[in-house]
Amino acid sequence: MNKIANFFKHPKIFVITIIWMMVLVVLGTIEQKHSGLFAVQERYFSSWVIWFSLFPMPGGRLTLIIMLINLSFFFFNKSIWKLKKLGIVILHLGGILLLIGGGLTAMFSSEGNMVIEEGDKSNHIEDYHYMELAIINTSSAEFDAYTIFDQPLLIKNNILTHENLNFEIEILNYLENCEPDKRTSSPAIQYKGMLKNFMLKELKPEKEDNWNRPGIIYKISNSGTSTDGMYGIFLGQPVVQTISVNDNNYTIVLRRKRTYLPFSIGLIDFKKILHPGTDIPKSYSSDIILTENRAVRKILIQMNKPLRHKGYTFFQSSFIEGPDGETTVLAVVKNYGRLFPYISSIIMCVGLLFHMFQKLPDLFRKSREKVAT
Amino acid sequence: MCAILLPRDFDSRDIPIHENGRIKPLDTFVRNQLLLIYGKRSIKQNALPRELNSEGLSALDWFFDIALHPDEGDKYRIFNISNPEVVASLGLDWDPKHLYNQTEVLTGLKNQIHYITTIQRKPEAELTQFDTQMLKVYSNAIQYQTLSYSLSCLLPSIQIHNETIAQSLSINPGDKLSYYQLMRKANKLSHLMGRLINRDKNKWSESDYELQHVMGVLNEISQDKFARILKIIPPESGEQNEEWQSPWELMESRMIGPNQEKLLLTLESFLKFRIDNDTIKSDSLLAEYEKLLSLQFKGLINLDNVKLETWKNRANLFYKSIAFYILAFLLLVISWMTIPKLLRRISFACLLGGLAFHFYGIFLRIIIMQRPPVSTLYESIIFVGIIGVICASLLEYNRKDGMGIFIGAVVGGVLHFVGLGYANDGDTLGMLVAVLNSNFWLATHVTTITIGYGASLFAGLLGHIYLLQSIRIPFDKKYLNTINANLFGATLFALFFTLFGTILGGIWADQSWGRFWGWDPKENGALLIVMWQIMMLHLRITGLVKPMGFALGMVLNNIVVILAWFGVNLLNVGLHSYGFAAGIAINISLFTIFELITGFGSYFWAKNRQKQLTAY
Repeated sequence: MNKIANFFKHPKIFVITIIWMMVLVVLGTIEQKHSGLFAVQERYFSSWVIWFSLFPMPGGRLTLIIMLINLSFFFFNKSIWKLKKLGIVILHLGGILLLIGGGLTAMFSSEGNMVIEEGDKSNHIEDYHYMELAIINTSSAEFDAYTIFDQPLLIKNNILTHENLNFEIEILNYLENCEPDKRTSSPAIQYKGMLKNFMLKELKPEKEDNWNRPGIIYKISNSGTSTDGMYGIFLGQPVVQTISVNDNNYTIVLRRKRTYLPFSIGLIDFKKILHPGTDIPKSYSSDIILTENRAVRKILIQMNKPLRHKGYTFFQSSFIEGPDGETTVLAVVKNYGRLFPYISSIIMCVGLLFHMFQKLPDLFRKSREKVAT
Repeated sequence: MCAILLPRDFDSRDIPIHENGRIKPLDTFVRNQLLLIYGKRSIKQNALPRELNSEGLSALDWFFDIALHPDEGDKYRIFNISNPEVVASLGLDWDPKHLYNQTEVLTGLKNQIHYITTIQRKPEAELTQFDTQMLKVYSNAIQYQTLSYSLSCLLPSIQIHNETIAQSLSINPGDKLSYYQLMRKANKLSHLMGRLINRDKNKWSESDYELQHVMGVLNEISQDKFARILKIIPPESGEQNEEWQSPWELMESRMIGPNQEKLLLTLESFLKFRIDNDTIKSDSLLAEYEKLLSLQFKGLINLDNVKLETWKNRANLFYKSIAFYILAFLLLVISWMTIPKLLRRISFACLLGGLAFHFYGIFLRIIIMQRPPVSTLYESIIFVGIIGVICASLLEYNRKDGMGIFIGAVVGGVLHFVGLGYANDGDTLGMLVAVLNSNFWLATHVTTITIGYGASLFAGLLGHIYLLQSIRIPFDKKYLNTINANLFGATLFALFFTLFGTILGGIWADQSWGRFWGWDPKENGALLIVMWQIMMLHLRITGLVKPMGFALGMVLNNIVVILAWFGVNLLNVGLHSYGFAAGIAINISLFTIFELITGFGSYFWAKNRQKQLTAY
């Protein structure tokens, strides 16, 4: 047992992990010149293993976990449990908390956008990176029945079926980035819907993955009707795809993955103020109403002044200026680890100050001695 | 320095003007305009006509001269064109001083106008160096024109001789009116105008001919309406977020509020007396102008701050600070040769003097902008400088052997010079984009991290000194140990600020964007400094490196600091890349190479000396 502890608490491990972490940070920073932030994070910082062509190396997540283990074993050192080292102990405790908080955030936090037009309202968050295929049965007069297929299912050659649907969907191709391209010749007979007039042209993925416009080419089969055939769909398609199978009407949409909230937010007014005589923005703000269980609250969200409600935080993130008014973009985050940095920084601050004040007289004495001699 | 404590009369330098989102004195505005065109903030002898026999001219005097006498601007050779290719293609004769006057430049540009319109349409990346400089000359020429004609609507340039017309305007024949005055009284001329139009030209009277002439002159002056740069008239409403207007914009808008009108009229009379060189009357009008501003636009303008800025422009506090730092350095060097104790004390006093000016300069900027000391790259340079000098002064107070003076003078002096390079881009007091516009976070995160940079550079210099002294006196272990102890303390101090500055940055990000950490290049840069320092401390504490290695590590830390501070701007991505400047890459590379060579060089040399010593 002691042997294991001795191995894990060795400061060399810490030095090696921190050097490796520095290497990762340098590489991950430089690569941002060419790749998007999300891709860089996935490759360097949120990864367990990084492949440098054929060589596997520990990724950011693994490196930090090793560092955390090493730090935790530090407390097995008997020599540190002295008043003189109290500052150091507190400092390392803070460091551990910071790493744990980082881990919690990495594992459990979720973030996305809420996009609301002036005069409109919304009760869901849209994911930055993941898509979903929504199939909406609009036949009933009272309600719409939603069937949602998540991003991991939207891969080439996968067949999507569900008891609510009386047909099958086969994903023929998933395009990370594409644009509709008008057909010049008449289409083959199996093309239906949008694909009758357009093709989906695959494009090179953009630097940031949320600039992409993904698209799917899919086949509907086993409906037993003339609806069977090949279809195409892309994100933000202006004319939605509708099909009907045996008296059931369906709308098919490819959209950013949605998370629904137990409340809704309506935008009354979005304001942008510039420094007069310049194009430099001075402030952005959204005048919103939060509706929850028929209780209505008016709230102002500003830059640096977010709304926190039910564990969600809404930040003024961006805006779209359109011909019929403005649209606000709120960044929404749910983070269970968000208090850790606050607590750990206070603890570390106390520890470091404690240590410095213990050390200071020492340092001064040494140089005084020198002057005396 | 007393000048600032005593209330000073409002003078023409203090006329408030609105530019780039903030209210500033006219003095600052014209200095920056001159800097743009001429490359300096006041006119030196070389650009002045010889017969003037003057040592130099302030930017403001130059401005009033070209604005009050737009046709006489040619006497100033202020267009600074140093690229021989541009000079040649403008058809100019090569001037060893690189200076040309307005007409020369305009004639040259007219000949190249086709080329200029072509390159104007090109994207910036495709422009050659020649193209950019050509465009710069072109935009400078336009800038000059707009300055020179910015007040022409207020100048008394229309003389009325005819009695009938004078009577209708209720003035005396022979009086001169400005465009603005005449336009205000235009309705009084309407009956004369009506007659003029309806009457046969053969039957025109003298007054009709003069009226036609006056109309011609008015039309001619109205050609200057493009000159809208001088936004000196505040909005009638007194609202913070409303735009100020230039005299020409007001001429066009025809919606002049009563307070704006009073300001315009006062300004007009002021200009008239200034042309006549009647200082007493023009001064009294300025006093009236100030009264109008302070009474009618009370909430909008803080005239004390405007005056303070004018004073700051003149005082050149940072130049004085540099002078003191250099003096401190020289005295220190002399003290190594003779009368060490006394000279060292005087030298320390000089360092503290430089620090005082340095501090006062930063303090004034805080007062003027009403925001914490660091919000732009330029300010961070000046602030890191002062932190370095403060750390060094504490070291000197502690050691009393000149080492602190040495470090302080080097850090303070060098960073001031770097800062001056940045200041030449123009106004260093810019406005901030929305996300940075938060005094609380600027005061906490930015200030803390910048203190961290300063302390890190200080520690790095201490590392250099440790290595140098190990070469010079490897046998004096006790002395070296004291430096090592100081270095260790400085590293802890630096770590404290870089670590909490970085964490505070995360907390700001959490508050503003909902994420503590986003792996943005600047964040990563700060993290690298923190990790480097933590690594060095652990290496030292666990004995994996010796004091000499620790010193080398802290020298190399300088490279990390510079890369995090300036280098990330080269990537041009992320939230923090606000301070990109061309040529920065070369300077960073030079610095890195210098630190690598001196760091490793002195480290191995010192090691070698140590070996020799043990061999004996």
